[in-house]
Amino acid sequence: MHFVMGGNTMSHFMLLLAILHSILAVAPGDNSRDSNRLLRIKSELVDPSGVLNSWSPRAHICTWNGLECSDDHMHIISLNLSGSGLSGPIPHELWNLNSIQTLDLSLNSFTGSLPSELGQLQNMKALLLYSNFLNGEIPEEIGALKNLQILRIGDNLISGVIPPSIGNLTELRVLGLAYCQLNGSIPVEIGNLKHLKFLDLQNNSLSGLIPEEIHGCKELENFAASNNKLEGDIPLMGSLESMQILNLANNSLSGSIPTALSQLRNLKYLNLLGNRLSGAIPLELNHLVQLEMLDLSRNNFSGSMQLFSTQLKNLAALVLSDNALTGNIPRNFCLSSSSNLQQLLLARNKLSGEFPLAVLSCSSLQQLDLSDNHFGGQLPASLNRLGNLTDLVLNSNNFTGTLLPEIGNLSSLENLFLFDNMITGGIPVEIGKLQRLEAIYLYENHMSGPIPSELTNCSSLTAIDFFGNHFSGSIPATIGKLKNLVVLQLRQNELSGPIPPSLGYCRSLQLLALADNKLSGTLPPTFRFISQLSTITLYNNSFQGPLPQSLFLLKNIKIINFSHNRFNGTIFPLSGSSYLTAMDLTNNSFSGPIPSRFSMCRNLTRLRLAHNHLTGTMPDEFGQLTQLNFLDLSFNNFTDEIPPQLSSFKKLEHLLVNNNQFTGAIPPWLGSLQELGELDFSSNNFHGTVPADLGNCSKLLKLSLHDNSLSSIIPAEIGNLTSLNVLNLQRNNLSGSIPSTIQNCKKLYELRLSENLLTGLIPYELGELSELQVILDLSKNSFSGEIPPSLGNLMKLERLNLSFNQLQGKVPASLGKLTSLHMLNLSNNHLEGQIPSTFSGFPLSSFLGNDHNLCGPPLASCGDSEAQRVKRLSRTAATGITVAIALTSTAICLVLIYIMLRIWCKWRKVSISTSDGSGGKEEKKWGFKNEKKRVGEYCKVNSVALVPSETAEMKKQKSASFYSTSN
Amino acid sequence: MVSSSCSLSLISFSLTFLFFLSPALSTNSEGNALHALRSRLNDATNVLQSWDPTLVNPCTWFHVTCDADNHVIRLDLGNSNISGSLGPELGQLKHLQYLELYRNDIGGKIPKELGNLKNLVSMDLYGNRFEGRIPKSFSKLKSLRFLRLNNNKLSGSIPRELTALSNLKVFDVSNNDLCGTIPVDGPFSTFSMESFENNKLSGPELQGLVPYDFGC
Repeated sequence: MHFVMGGNTMSHFMLLLAILHSILAVAPGDNSRDSNRLLRIKSELVDPSGVLNSWSPRAHICTWNGLECSDDHMHIISLNLSGSGLSGPIPHELWNLNSIQTLDLSLNSFTGSLPSELGQLQNMKALLLYSNFLNGEIPEEIGALKNLQILRIGDNLISGVIPPSIGNLTELRVLGLAYCQLNGSIPVEIGNLKHLKFLDLQNNSLSGLIPEEIHGCKELENFAASNNKLEGDIPLMGSLESMQILNLANNSLSGSIPTALSQLRNLKYLNLLGNRLSGAIPLELNHLVQLEMLDLSRNNFSGSMQLFSTQLKNLAALVLSDNALTGNIPRNFCLSSSSNLQQLLLARNKLSGEFPLAVLSCSSLQQLDLSDNHFGGQLPASLNRLGNLTDLVLNSNNFTGTLLPEIGNLSSLENLFLFDNMITGGIPVEIGKLQRLEAIYLYENHMSGPIPSELTNCSSLTAIDFFGNHFSGSIPATIGKLKNLVVLQLRQNELSGPIPPSLGYCRSLQLLALADNKLSGTLPPTFRFISQLSTITLYNNSFQGPLPQSLFLLKNIKIINFSHNRFNGTIFPLSGSSYLTAMDLTNNSFSGPIPSRFSMCRNLTRLRLAHNHLTGTMPDEFGQLTQLNFLDLSFNNFTDEIPPQLSSFKKLEHLLVNNNQFTGAIPPWLGSLQELGELDFSSNNFHGTVPADLGNCSKLLKLSLHDNSLSSIIPAEIGNLTSLNVLNLQRNNLSGSIPSTIQNCKKLYELRLSENLLTGLIPYELGELSELQVILDLSKNSFSGEIPPSLGNLMKLERLNLSFNQLQGKVPASLGKLTSLHMLNLSNNHLEGQIPSTFSGFPLSSFLGNDHNLCGPPLASCGDSEAQRVKRLSRTAATGITVAIALTSTAICLVLIYIMLRIWCKWRKVSISTSDGSGGKEEKKWGFKNEKKRVGEYCKVNSVALVPSETAEMKKQKSASFYSTSN
Repeated sequence: MVSSSCSLSLISFSLTFLFFLSPALSTNSEGNALHALRSRLNDATNVLQSWDPTLVNPCTWFHVTCDADNHVIRLDLGNSNISGSLGPELGQLKHLQYLELYRNDIGGKIPKELGNLKNLVSMDLYGNRFEGRIPKSFSKLKSLRFLRLNNNKLSGSIPRELTALSNLKVFDVSNNDLCGTIPVDGPFSTFSMESFENNKLSGPELQGLVPYDFGC
């Protein structure tokens, strides 16, 4: 044993001697210079993982990590520090390592730029600096590296142009410049690189044309220039017979595909997606028999698709989506024995015709996407021939027919997208055989019948969307078997019955949408297990009863919509989640107070509790809901004052508290809510003033304060509300006059100030509100003076109510120009004189109660009173003048009567649709223009007044109808 | 260095399928129609900011008014600094009564699909840059009472089919580029000449004597 050991030691010793000898022999040569350089390099680098620890003067340089010396140990020929976690500026000394043939510093964090000294490394064969943080430009001197075979400097921050001197690197095999910030065009000198096999220019900002000279790269196998700004035609590359991969995706190339491309017989991968290519897809592409992947999507290709899997025998993926292809898929597209096609994606074209049966012969097919085309006809039963299919995407076509039982044989199916078609019939029970099915989207079809309980055998299901069909019956009681279900969307069907308690065991469920059905019953307490639930929408059903207390345990809910059901009891169980963003409980029978716990929902943006029986007041803590955008508490039994904490709702756009029993003043701080667009405080017990601060809410569109006990004046600041569409202050105790500033509310289309104590003149400025349309209602106030003639400017006004005021004087003739008017009430004032003739179609009730001084149709004609006045005048005048006046006036009267008759005849009555906006109540109350039409009562008068067929009798009948009152 | 040229095509596949991961949450046709309208409009002053398509219906959007059944009955975008054009989708607002788009900078043709708005009472498109013809399909607007198309760049003749609009009470096409003759039948017997001024119209139609598009 000992002896053997000794011999071993001896041989080690001899070896050491030999090494020492060799070190001593080289020491004075190149290596000592290089080792000094390398040590300086080391000192400049940040080396957190210590890969340079072996770089020490005590060890021979050829043993240093990453270094490789020549066989004679005289020269360093390779430095490989790829992926070593190094950082710092790229050391300048590197460029003095003259003997180096391979320099690989890739996958580090080097910074700095490539210096012109780079050109000194004449022995360099491989320079790999990719995936660092190098910046600056590629030096022109790179062209001096005559022996360079591999140059990979991509995935850096290098900018500028590709220097034309690159064409001097005639030995180059690999040129990788991808993922940089290179601009300019691809230099034509690239064509000098006769041995180039691999050219990668992807993800730069290269522009201009792809140079024709590329055909000089005879040995090119892989050319990738995707994601640049290249334009113009695809150059002729037919001579590049070695080409296997050609990727020009996402550029701006135009023109058509050159047929010469079909000469690239070795091409396996051709990607032209996302360009502006147009024309037909050339038939010659069928010659590319090696092709495995062809993507021409997102271009403007037109014409019919004439590619054949029968010729492209190796084709595995064909992607032609997002083009303008027409016609159908050729009949002999696939032969089942030979097709390798796995992906056929033709979405968003203009393909039409019946379901392409040829596809059913593509027996290897895994993904078929024909969505968003114009295909029609029935879904074929023989779909089941595609036994390998994982994705069947046929949505947004015009497919009819039913989902056939054979679908159950597609045992690999994962995604079934048939939505937005015209499919009828039910879901076959065979669907339950699809054990791999993950998503079934049948929404927006005409399907009916029950949801088969077999569907719940599809244990891989994560998403079910049957929205917008006619499915009926109940939700399968076994739904709880779908443990992976994330989305259950059954909205807008005819489902009935209760929610099965087992639904609570779909523990992965995040979205539950059962709205717009006929579901009933209470919510099962098992809901507490759906802890991931984020959205639950049950609106428009007949659910009832109190909510299970355990709903409080659903801590992740963001959106709740239970509106339009018959739930009752407290809403406390819904306050468990602090992630709530929107809750709508409108139109139920919930009672009790709003739990203050809702104030924990800091992201709450919409809270709608209208039409319930909620009581109490708004909790003070609500002030914490600073994100609130929509607050609707209307039609409840809330009491007390509006708490001042609500002034922190700075994002509030809708604030609706109408139809409650709120008291106190309208808070002036509302003026600080700058986003308010709709404010409804109507039908409460508010008193005090209309706060002038409201004028600060410059985005306000609708302001409703009617049916309260507000007093004092309408503040002049109302005129600051320049966006206002609707202003309703009716039925309060407002006094004073209408501020003239109201003329600034130029967008008002509805203005209601009736049933107040307003006095003074109707401001002339109301005539500036030229968009007033729905109504101008000033009735039941104490306005005095004359009706301002400016109201005649309200050309769009459809309803005008000035009744029950103290208005005097004549009805201004200008009002007769209100051609849009179809309801008018001037009754119960002190108006006098002639009614504008165009008002003759309005009923008597529009004008009654005006002290008998108002005249003209539909009231008594003004003839008598006019005559009396003439008489009075005649008593104080000379007889001759009297006679003259009498004669003249008689003549004028005759002319007037004639003109009026003509106008009456021209006047055509207009019917009012009963569906009219603010409807019935007003119709009874005040004057409609008479709309009851009888056949033949039109007065058909042309501008030339040619009415030969119109008999006197008919005219009589017609004028009678003018005088009759409505209803 | 990322040199794989195959990755791109895989991205395009996966994108196709990612698209479907979000199921149809908002599929109310009126909301979609309005949202499509929004995408055609340039909204300089953000008046359409509140138009959130993920809401159940568009009834809480500003400038949109619904009836009790949540059908859109008013669209009020008059004087709102919007430009762009209208599209066929507006024709899906079957319950619309008031279409108020006056005094904006909306151009292009008036979509013929507006003729599908069977409940429309008022169409106010005045004060825009609409061009092309007045759609013949407007003759289907049986409820229409107010049609104000004045101050646009409309051309062609006034469609004779509009004489069938028996409820039409206001018709204003002044300040356009219309030609031909003015109809005299139906409601047109009542409209004043002011409704037609500043066009290339050649006066009232003389029935049977000249074609109505005489001079177009």
